[in-house]
Amino acid sequence: MRNLIAFLKRFQLFLVFAGLQIIALSLYFTFFSFPRSQYLTTASGITGTIMTVRNDITKQLNLSKTNRTLHQKNVELMKQLPSSFTKIGKNVYKIDDTIYHQQYEYIAGTVINSTVDKANNYFTINIGLEQGVEPGMGVFSDKGIVGVIHNVSPHFSVIKSVLTDNINIDVTIQPIGLFGLLKWDHKDARHGTIAGISNDLKIKKWSKVYTKGGSGIYPRGILVGRVESLESVEGEAFWDVKVLFSEDYRSLQKVYVVKNLLQQEQKDLEALIPKDKEK
Amino acid sequence: MRNLVVHGLRFLFFVFAQTLVFNQLEIGWGIQPMIYPLFILLLPFEIGVIPMLLLAFGMGICIDAMSNTYGLHTSALLMFAYLRPVIFKTFSPRDGYDSLKEGNVYEMGQRWFLYVFGSLLLIHHFWFFMIEIFKFNEIGYILRKLVFSSILSYIFCILFQLIFLKRSKAQ
Repeated sequence: MRNLIAFLKRFQLFLVFAGLQIIALSLYFTFFSFPRSQYLTTASGITGTIMTVRNDITKQLNLSKTNRTLHQKNVELMKQLPSSFTKIGKNVYKIDDTIYHQQYEYIAGTVINSTVDKANNYFTINIGLEQGVEPGMGVFSDKGIVGVIHNVSPHFSVIKSVLTDNINIDVTIQPIGLFGLLKWDHKDARHGTIAGISNDLKIKKWSKVYTKGGSGIYPRGILVGRVESLESVEGEAFWDVKVLFSEDYRSLQKVYVVKNLLQQEQKDLEALIPKDKEK
Repeated sequence: MRNLVVHGLRFLFFVFAQTLVFNQLEIGWGIQPMIYPLFILLLPFEIGVIPMLLLAFGMGICIDAMSNTYGLHTSALLMFAYLRPVIFKTFSPRDGYDSLKEGNVYEMGQRWFLYVFGSLLLIHHFWFFMIEIFKFNEIGYILRKLVFSSILSYIFCILFQLIFLKRSKAQ
């Protein structure tokens, strides 16, 4: 017993250091894949408020650019209003609302804190549970895809952006319609890669990349970017496809959160698929 | 008492400066200046290691909470605080440390500051980037980040002292 106390006394400093270090590292590695609480993130009340104040000051810098993109979006939407169509003949078209079910709803939010040069980049937005945001929802902006909601507090939420490891969004390269997974190599905020495209297929440079919409997180056909270059991976039958993101995440301001009204139905149905037995 | 106020204010200053200003700088090349280790360096010479570790932990958590890094800054800062006494002993002046002084560039001199703060900063940055990237095949990228970020952090820390600290009267 005396030996034990002597031992503890002797290594007291190291034990305190090791204990604190273990807490810090386990926080880092578990939070990364597995958000447990919002208290240590910018989704919490205090830091969320500070970030809102900071954003109120700095958002003015991007104001003209933000205005321009919103303006363009408005023009696009106005084109689709009934008033901008002319009827060609009487009774030519009739809108019957009951045949269209709304599948996706969108919630508008503003990015109040973001980084783009870390190994894993998270964005904070100023909407949360009270606006109907839930973890797992998709997020996109006027120009392209942004990420997935990671965790949520009553008034703020944190997005796991496409600039993180293991983001794995399913995308398709148009017009040939190939499917692949979007990844990021944590170096450059303008470029991502697509994995899983076999190299017997020719892909044109600058062909567009869209979301596939398979998992119901995003609607089909949200722009991701364009193919910038192709390289073959040594010893594997896949292309290493480099994508230039259409959104510049360094000046991201306005985002939309996707709410899929039929998500539960899709999940329930897919849960019925019999699971492969692991060998 | 005066010490407590000074270090308390510095704590807040470094947390906010790091999260609101330095984390938002996007210089490119993966450069990421971090100035908050200077707070730990400027703590009094006679402070115990355990209070210092606890301060480092608290400060790291504050910075992590505001930059969504979940413990990464904490871990690196703990490393810095734990190794501070060791490095201090290695580069100790001939007649020991004067408890009335603090470890800034004016009172301890350019050379001492470069050796002590430089080596601690390198350890801190290396630990930080290694845990952040966590891939050994990217060691070249880690080293590039390490070198450029450390140089920039060092320059910012010198600038901070030039602006905010008084030149000591003895000299």
